Amino acid sequence: MSLSRSPSPVPGGGWASPGLTNNLSPSGRSSPTKAYAGSNGTPVMWERQKNMGGAAYQSFSTQNQGFFSRHMRRISSSLPRFKADNTHGAEREKIGQGRWNMPRLGRIRGITGRMSRRTKMLLAFGLLFLLAYIIFYSTPLVYYYRRTSWLGGGQKFVIILAANVGGGVMEWKGAREWAIERDSIRNKKKYVAKWGYDLEIVDMSTKKRYAHEWRESWEKVDFIRSTLRKYPKAEWVWWLDLNTFIMEPSKSLQDHIFDHIEDVTYRDINEYNPLNISHPPADPYLDELSKSPIGDGNPNSIHLMLSQDCSGFNLGSFFMRRSTWTDHLLDVWWDPVAYEQKHMEWEHKEQDALEQLYTAQPWIRKSTAFLPQRMINSFPTGACSEKGNDPRIHYDQKDRDFLVNMAGCEWGRDCWGEMYNFRELSYHLNRSLWERFKEDLLCWIWFKLTGKKVKF
Amino acid sequence: MHFAYPPRKSSNPPPFRPRTSALPTIRGKRLKTIVLTGLAFLTLLWLFQRSGRSRHAPPAYHKPSGNPPVVIVTVFNEGKYGKGYLDMVKENRLKYAEKHAYLPSSPPDAGYGTFFVKSSDYDLHGAPVSWATLPAVRHAMTKFPDASYIWYLDQNAFIMNPLLKIEEHVMKPSRLEELMIKDHPVVPPDSIIKTFSHLKGHDVDFVLTQDKDGLSSSSFVVKNGEWAKFFLETWFDPIYRTYNFQKAEQHALEHIVQWHPTILAKLALVPQRILNSYSKEKGGQEYKEGDLAVRLYACGEAGEDTCETESQRFAQWKAAFQDS
Repeated sequence: MSLSRSPSPVPGGGWASPGLTNNLSPSGRSSPTKAYAGSNGTPVMWERQKNMGGAAYQSFSTQNQGFFSRHMRRISSSLPRFKADNTHGAEREKIGQGRWNMPRLGRIRGITGRMSRRTKMLLAFGLLFLLAYIIFYSTPLVYYYRRTSWLGGGQKFVIILAANVGGGVMEWKGAREWAIERDSIRNKKKYVAKWGYDLEIVDMSTKKRYAHEWRESWEKVDFIRSTLRKYPKAEWVWWLDLNTFIMEPSKSLQDHIFDHIEDVTYRDINEYNPLNISHPPADPYLDELSKSPIGDGNPNSIHLMLSQDCSGFNLGSFFMRRSTWTDHLLDVWWDPVAYEQKHMEWEHKEQDALEQLYTAQPWIRKSTAFLPQRMINSFPTGACSEKGNDPRIHYDQKDRDFLVNMAGCEWGRDCWGEMYNFRELSYHLNRSLWERFKEDLLCWIWFKLTGKKVKF
Repeated sequence: MHFAYPPRKSSNPPPFRPRTSALPTIRGKRLKTIVLTGLAFLTLLWLFQRSGRSRHAPPAYHKPSGNPPVVIVTVFNEGKYGKGYLDMVKENRLKYAEKHAYLPSSPPDAGYGTFFVKSSDYDLHGAPVSWATLPAVRHAMTKFPDASYIWYLDQNAFIMNPLLKIEEHVMKPSRLEELMIKDHPVVPPDSIIKTFSHLKGHDVDFVLTQDKDGLSSSSFVVKNGEWAKFFLETWFDPIYRTYNFQKAEQHALEHIVQWHPTILAKLALVPQRILNSYSKEKGGQEYKEGDLAVRLYACGEAGEDTCETESQRFAQWKAAFQDS
């Protein structure tokens, strides 16, 4: 039966397809009934089939009947289908959204059905590439496989963060101290999550165990030992004081230092010798290796890497490798005879003890290497600034130094202010492309247009 | 839209177009395979380039080859003793070393080494002369990098039994395991630090004895290696000298052995008469016939005979070394 004109959009107004009519009646019928019959009063095809149980044919012919007749099936299959249950109000809204589920799949199926094989392959490949990029570079999953030894080796590195310095025992730990600790810890946690290292946060509160005459301030040694025991796969341990901030978290330790140790370290302290230690040791009874200024020159024999600041060794940020040499050093680092004689002189405790050991015992020099200070231990302009800004020591934004150690900020400077500023600077320097686009282009345009500074 | 349908195809199919190039072209499916394989290979390369970067070759410290097997070190205090006496002591060492020079199946040079120094050779920065032991042994390790063991013997001591070989009589791992005094206070009588009970013979790098008062540093053996260098340099730290221990390096040794477990872990105590018999009962175990060496305990001190006199009592070493 042909339609002489396109039927008006009246409920039940002539379309043979049931999905096109609205069921606003509250009578709650959930199954299509004869109410959906077309204007001719005949039920739809499948209804008729159900009723008559026999082969039924379409009631209208589709040949040469006009655009809608010929393409009706395709159009009608992609139009929204109506779900035939009775709901009110908010549920209807939800259903309204839900209405699009099935047809979307159908639309996608329709689109892909019309694509050629080649297009499908390209699309699949592109999606796979995007998925790989997301998995390998941006999700939290990067933590797990950057740890494995064949994809980065992150589990070889453990960062020890000395937190809770003092623990509020001798001095009040107020909001600023808590904020500094929070920022420092958060920064290290993010870094570790990004590169697959381990983080060990140790409690440096004032303990009786480390009081006067009982290894006072020698906690570092004990914590390094216990960390090496706790992380059996760790090869390198990185000690960080609390007042440090990793400014460039996009640099991994492997890229920054460990893939090319021999290029970045120097063993001959004469390159930079603030303590004026005479090197190499000149005792006549020493063997060639001990007398050599660079040890054996083999990067694999370096077991301690540290930096020097303007007044000597700085143990705010240093690396130690798991080895017998390290065991020996951690063992002899503290000695009661040494402590008794020197603790009045040794302001920096274990740091000064290490300087004494380095000076007196040649076996220590064999496995110690130094890093340029700005590589792992840049100072802010307040520290070590008797002679003004020293390009060897002080943080330089242009060079994008890796880590800032706000050493000595408790003595006369503002720890929280420095931490906050370096944190904001780090965020600013490491903005993503989108943020850069917003801030450098859009905000700038807006400023030029309206003279007002905004932040998107 | 002038025509409803595209023009009708002709019944004659178009002729086959000739090749544009002489070389065979890679057709669709093969090209795809090649490109995919290439990409997979590059991915694998990228994945594994990280592991290729780590170099894990541990540094090869020079392992002593055992030539000579033992070096005997003695420090001579020329200021205090006569030349004749010191020459006799030197001869004793040399004869002993010679005795082990020509063994049936060893090469001609496989004798023991000897290393003699004067205590004035080293700058002790004002510390007592007995501290010169340490740089002397360290020096011997430099001079004989291939020696297996260094045996330090005090100047006032004589080697009595030429037949005993250090590497078998003392340092052989199985022998050490039977000789080791286990779970014994390192400083008698009542130090709470005791020697290890489960040390393996090959893990021992330092063998010494105790006398009645404490550890005796007049006769000890160290195994040449990195641990020995660490140990000697630690013991020789100027901080121990400035502390002015009552018995100089002996007390310093007792101190470091009790306070530093990495040193205690390589230490073995053996019965005194194995290495270090005393000439008098009152100091420690007394010398008996067949012992390796005797030390003239407290000779030259107030109320005792001089060392020269004391050494006459043990002059039988000359005869012992005379026979084969």
